[in-house]
Amino acid sequence: MAYAYLFKYIIIGDTGVGKSCLLLQFTDKRFQPVHDLTIGVEFGARMITIDGKQIKLQIWDTAGQESFRSITRSYYRGAAGALLVYDITRRDTFNHLTTWLEDARQHSNSNMVIMLIGNKSDLESRREVKKEEGEAFAREHGLIFMETSAKTASNVEEAFINTAKEIYEKIQEGVFDINNEANGIKIGPQHAATNSTLSGGQGGQQAGGGCC
Amino acid sequence: MCRSVITPHNTEEGMDTDDTSRNPDGKGFYPSENGSVFSHHTPDPIRGACVSSTPLYCRSTCSSATVTSTTCGEDEQNSVESQDSGIPTLELSSPEVTEEKQSIEPLSQRQRDAPATLKLEAVDEGGASSQVRGGALVYRDSTSVCSTSSLSTDFSATLSLGNDDAAGDFVVTSDSSAVVDFHDFSDFSQFPQATAINIVPRDHPQQHHCEAVAKKESPIVNFFNRRLFGKNSPQQIRRVTKENEKAGGSASPRQSVRKHLEFEPLSTTALILEHRPANLPAKPAEEAQKHRQQYEEMVAHAKKREMKEAQKRRRQFEERVRLEESIGNAAHTWSQEILPNWQSMHSSKRTRDLWWQGIPPSVRGRVWSLAIGNELNITHELYDICLARAKVKWSASPSSISRAESNTAGDAGLSHADREASLELIKLDISRTFPSLCIFQQGGPYHDVLHSILGAYTCYRPDVGYVQGMSFIAAVLILNMNTADAFIAFANLLNKPCQMAFYRVDHSLMLTYFAAFEVFFEENLPKLFAHFKSNNLTPDIYLIDWIFTLYSKSLPLDVACRVWDVFCRDGEEFLFRTALGILRFYSEVLTHMDFIHMAQFLTRLPEQNSTHTQSHTLFSCIGSINMSCRNRTWTQVLQTLQKDPEHSSPVLKH
Repeated sequence: MAYAYLFKYIIIGDTGVGKSCLLLQFTDKRFQPVHDLTIGVEFGARMITIDGKQIKLQIWDTAGQESFRSITRSYYRGAAGALLVYDITRRDTFNHLTTWLEDARQHSNSNMVIMLIGNKSDLESRREVKKEEGEAFAREHGLIFMETSAKTASNVEEAFINTAKEIYEKIQEGVFDINNEANGIKIGPQHAATNSTLSGGQGGQQAGGGCC
Repeated sequence: MCRSVITPHNTEEGMDTDDTSRNPDGKGFYPSENGSVFSHHTPDPIRGACVSSTPLYCRSTCSSATVTSTTCGEDEQNSVESQDSGIPTLELSSPEVTEEKQSIEPLSQRQRDAPATLKLEAVDEGGASSQVRGGALVYRDSTSVCSTSSLSTDFSATLSLGNDDAAGDFVVTSDSSAVVDFHDFSDFSQFPQATAINIVPRDHPQQHHCEAVAKKESPIVNFFNRRLFGKNSPQQIRRVTKENEKAGGSASPRQSVRKHLEFEPLSTTALILEHRPANLPAKPAEEAQKHRQQYEEMVAHAKKREMKEAQKRRRQFEERVRLEESIGNAAHTWSQEILPNWQSMHSSKRTRDLWWQGIPPSVRGRVWSLAIGNELNITHELYDICLARAKVKWSASPSSISRAESNTAGDAGLSHADREASLELIKLDISRTFPSLCIFQQGGPYHDVLHSILGAYTCYRPDVGYVQGMSFIAAVLILNMNTADAFIAFANLLNKPCQMAFYRVDHSLMLTYFAAFEVFFEENLPKLFAHFKSNNLTPDIYLIDWIFTLYSKSLPLDVACRVWDVFCRDGEEFLFRTALGILRFYSEVLTHMDFIHMAQFLTRLPEQNSTHTQSHTLFSCIGSINMSCRNRTWTQVLQTLQKDPEHSSPVLKH
């Protein structure tokens, strides 16, 4: 499929905060109440349109357990955007944000756009972290912030797309060197990619995404 | 002479009956005095399609059975639903519901307690079907068919039940409409018996008799709530009656039951060609001829197709029988010959060959236990001690306390919180382990067992603790052996060098394993290897999940178990051989993919329709992987790389 740019994203955050569910909602528009746990890394892809340009998102969905940090660290490399996710019903997942952020800043390129996401906003009755706290944390660390619900799909599109918009603006401003793939941005092939998108299983995921 | 009375209920009740039919006391269907039952199961799609199903009473003189009505057991209904989903149906609609409703209002009130009813009463003991006399009217839906026919321009509905288990076929029609016609059914013998029932005017006195009997008799049998509509014509009634007589006379005994494996009439071949009702102008002869021809073509075509499907089913059935037989034989060999002489036999060629075929599930747990061994000398008592300790921890510090502590605590508090977090994490992950099996989730039968094993392990090896992926390994073991043995196997399995390297996330050692894997990858699949290289697809991306969970998450469970079988025989080398087998299995599709598609594909392998076929093909792919590279074995390659870390794969290096 032809695209103008390809952005690499990485989704990080504690285990069980809903990283894989956010990805599934974004790529397949569905929600699985009980998702398999992620070991190592899983992937998703979807095409979006920004400013009339086709942008392909290549999303790396990482395992959240502390033990896997040393593995997932190597996946920050070459990411243009990161979704840092916590669970608004589990205070400890919010408390761990600082560690995650340090990790991300240390192992990624300095221009990586980070979106802070408070997930499970549908579970208002079990909320442990106020929205204002999330906003304050984001302000303090220069992140974009959103509360989402992978279950109801609330703000899920926006979270992924707003991140892409921010990256796109940085490209326009010349902050990103798009010729350096280490920045997590690739310019699309001049012609429609000839590598046939296989329709089986995984290929469909991307096709299902469509654009906004 | 057969007669039937359809006594339609009010519509809502009819629907209600259809959907929630069950005995008032919730039990299944009742056996009659001689132990046989009459049960008619409504094919599910038809149930769904019937806009208004009404209880139906029929009084049959042809069948000598006395069948009274009762509702169908819920269980039975459920079991039928799964069988019948394939039968095509047409929707029945009820143009005359209201009218009929009024006419039998008293009945519907009386029958409310047991609304779904079929009443068959023997009038003529000398009836044609001797089988039926015993009261054994059993209708199985695998072959019975309800179909509406709209082949001709008339709208009519027909119902026929054909069946290999059936004591008889019979057809019920409503006075208002339904038409039964067998005269186009060329191979009539396909139906073991056919008993048609003719039609009685709605207000016939017989109806009341029926009701009376229905009230009197104890509920014995299943219900038969089918409502059929259509235009009615005397001509058709005559035909049905005539057909009745013919069928009654030729009804064959039941010996031929179950001989129809080859071909069973389904809805398409049981379609019936109707003439236009007498109250409408007759079709021109030409048109009638044309329709007849079309009808015959359709039936012939459908029959051919169904024959083919029946043959296919038979082949699958035979295949399954063969497979089960070979598993049975293997199980016998394992339990009678190999297991009693494990030490002397486990490395013999014969055992190894049998092993490769997959261990029969009945002995799998024992073979795994023996093959994994117990180097750690863990006893059942030790497991109990570890479990007891884990339980003390769980109860001593509820998560809320640990959370509160973790917010304020310093170093000591943090480590405490971390340990608690790992207990919390186990809880979170148990329900995410094989979620589709639904047995490990909260309230599931194995939830506590899995929790116990993982908890006990964190006490047994606090230095390793709980790492995600372990729950899958413990779960597979639980499925094959008792809890304490599963714990012993679990701890010993994780103690193997490769598993220890991964579960302790020993970076340099993991890199060495990946590098060794790449050596054999390049050797066995050079083209694919080059393709992966050019796309920067490193082995960690797919191998981490595969090795951590020993394929139990990525392959169907029975295929994964077969991988475990040979892993128990060959050790860690087989895990990497399996990975190469999977890559070979999918090499054709993979070579046409770019990075993201390959990564997606390999981290979530496509589900296969037939796991047996997949297992077979995959294992021949694995078998074709050569695990010696330039005369060096896996172990030698690994050792060389360990000594010379420069050769290891650059991934995960910082």
